[in-house]
Amino acid sequence: MEFADLLYKIFLKDGGWLTILNGLWVTVQISALSLLLGTVLGSLLCFFRLGKIKPLKIVAQVYISIIRGSPVLMLLMLLFYGVFARQGLSPILVAVITFSMHTAAHVAELLRSALMALDKGQVEAARTLGFSKWQAFKLVTFPQLVRIAKPVYQSTVVNLIQWTSVVGYVTITDLTRVINNIASRTMQPMITIIGGMIIYLALSYLVYGIFHWTDRRRTQ
Amino acid sequence: MKKLLATLCAVVLLMTGCGGEQQANKDKPNDNFSSAELQLGMVTRLNTNEKNMGSVLDQFAEKIGVKDTKHLPKFYDSFNAMQMGLESGQIEAISTYNSVANYVVANNDKMEIVPNEALNKITDSFCFAVRKDETQLRDDLNKVIDEMKADGSLDKLINDYVTNVNKGQALPKVDIPKTEGAQTIKVGVTGDLPPLDLILSDNTPAGFNTAMLAEIAKRLGRNVEIVQIEGGARAAALNSKLIDVVFWVIVPLGNDLPIDLDKPEGLELSKPYFKDDVAVIKLKANK
Repeated sequence: MEFADLLYKIFLKDGGWLTILNGLWVTVQISALSLLLGTVLGSLLCFFRLGKIKPLKIVAQVYISIIRGSPVLMLLMLLFYGVFARQGLSPILVAVITFSMHTAAHVAELLRSALMALDKGQVEAARTLGFSKWQAFKLVTFPQLVRIAKPVYQSTVVNLIQWTSVVGYVTITDLTRVINNIASRTMQPMITIIGGMIIYLALSYLVYGIFHWTDRRRTQ
Repeated sequence: MKKLLATLCAVVLLMTGCGGEQQANKDKPNDNFSSAELQLGMVTRLNTNEKNMGSVLDQFAEKIGVKDTKHLPKFYDSFNAMQMGLESGQIEAISTYNSVANYVVANNDKMEIVPNEALNKITDSFCFAVRKDETQLRDDLNKVIDEMKADGSLDKLINDYVTNVNKGQALPKVDIPKTEGAQTIKVGVTGDLPPLDLILSDNTPAGFNTAMLAEIAKRLGRNVEIVQIEGGARAAALNSKLIDVVFWVIVPLGNDLPIDLDKPEGLELSKPYFKDDVAVIKLKANK
């Protein structure tokens, strides 16, 4: 069989590309929602972790160490087939919860490390100049925090996209599952999986591109 | 920066170089193919391990007079992975079924079916599995299977969805009838064993097993919902009641092999609805 024919048969024939796009859409949906929720939850966790309230601090610490130390697939299986098994939640929702929880722990840690990299003296100086706590955070800490945390955050986003490739275990048809289905049907796993990798790679580069673009806008 | 890059390149070259050598060494025995040992890829059996499966196959081979062959099975969770294992030389051959083997060689011209005196003598049957407490469901399934065997519709399905497909005809779509207000049976399939189980390019399940399910839905007057599930999550899905039925559990026919290789505790099996002989696939270059 000609290579071009093979590619056509694998990726295009009978609307196969549409199914791939649908799978990609599911992956993007889960990643984007998890990223949003995870970032909010992660910021909150970081706030608790560095805050002055002891119990919350301990809770945040325990949460971060447990979630960061356990494989996300195990967490997903546990939540889907254990904790939420009787609730009848949609698999996608459970996946979003799982990945939000996972991302939150990572975001909390990356924010903490970024905060620790900041010079405390600057906030103190701002406070002596009469800025309120909120103003000092908004005008002094936050802009620097964003700059320091950004590169690590970017790789967290890309990692998140790749972590979502395990959602097939909870019956979700995401990009990886679609690719596997095609590989099984066409009996051409090598080419199909390389194709799938290229799509994931494109998605990652899209994320890099967006970050790069925001960087350039800032410097302009 | 330049130095760093140069060092990195050197390291990468060194590593791939070394890896290549190891690979070459490892590949050598494969090239001078000896019949003494056979590294055989198989789909994961739920109730045994690779070593045990190997000795079961060795004993079977010896019993039917094929001496001095040591089977070294390697379990794969999906047929995909197994095929890649074959292409990359991790295993020498794949043990599967005639129906599947024919589909593979029709779709991938790098593979071929090779005769194997011992393994070809094995016939496995396919059953449904339900939770132990669901005996009613099992009896219902058995009843349908008996009916279908009796009136010849099972043979017709096999003809339409296995035999004809392997003669090069297109894969037929399957319509699963819907009954308003009827009870729903949820069935887990892997979609990973064409032409028995596969997902079409429009993301709908198809293949002989799906056609079988459509017939069951029709005859029982119930709805059948197909849930695609990873091979490794089948047990978890069944036990958490996400699905009621697992497709498929393999039971060897006859008394030559233990019947519970693929049947863990806590599962109840239906009567076999399909049987097929074992076939062995290899890469053409490996001959």
